[in-house]
Amino acid sequence: MSAVAVLTPIVVASWPAISSAVATAAVSLGFKVLQDANQEGVSLDVETETARKVTLNVPHSEVVTGTLGRDQRLRMSRDGVMAEFSRDARGRAAVCVTGAGYSEEQLRAIGEELGGRMVQQYMLTKLKNEMAARGMDLVEETVDESQSIRLRVRHWQN
Amino acid sequence: MKQRTYELTISPTGEVEIHVDGFKGKGCLEAIKLFEQMVGETKDVRHTSGFYEPEEDVHLHSERHH
Repeated sequence: MSAVAVLTPIVVASWPAISSAVATAAVSLGFKVLQDANQEGVSLDVETETARKVTLNVPHSEVVTGTLGRDQRLRMSRDGVMAEFSRDARGRAAVCVTGAGYSEEQLRAIGEELGGRMVQQYMLTKLKNEMAARGMDLVEETVDESQSIRLRVRHWQN
Repeated sequence: MKQRTYELTISPTGEVEIHVDGFKGKGCLEAIKLFEQMVGETKDVRHTSGFYEPEEDVHLHSERHH
């Protein structure tokens, strides 16, 4: 072994790639992804009258979108918490978390966890695609107790 | 042909840690650059003893196969 590097992920992706990662992350954290804004009779606008709301940006992210994708968003719920991923005015991925009976700190932690898992799932898909395109073989994929995803990769070089 | 082994850990925050194996000398830096292209910016690099072994002729292809 010669070196260990820590890389900060940069997410530059279209909305379909982002939303796919969001949906996988949400389900892994026990959220139910809502197909439309009024599913289960809950909407963020109504909840904000009685509940706290926290909005966070996903660091180092850019949602590449055309005119048709500007209003796209994805909502999910769990235990009275509603979360909504969208593209903010500056083009970054953002998550808004709302929930009655939750403190701002709790909502922020939920939003950060969702955002982190979204980036994790996005990076997993991107790495698999990029490594396959470069002829690298994924020989093992595991998830450890801290929910980190571990990949073992082999690459034959001349 | 030489076999390279990489161990990647994607944390719940999305940060990626890469263990580069099978290189002698600074060839590992080229491997790290390859993963930089896929992931993002290097935050930290720690060299192990193998880094200081004699150089080997290493050329990693960064282009994708089509």
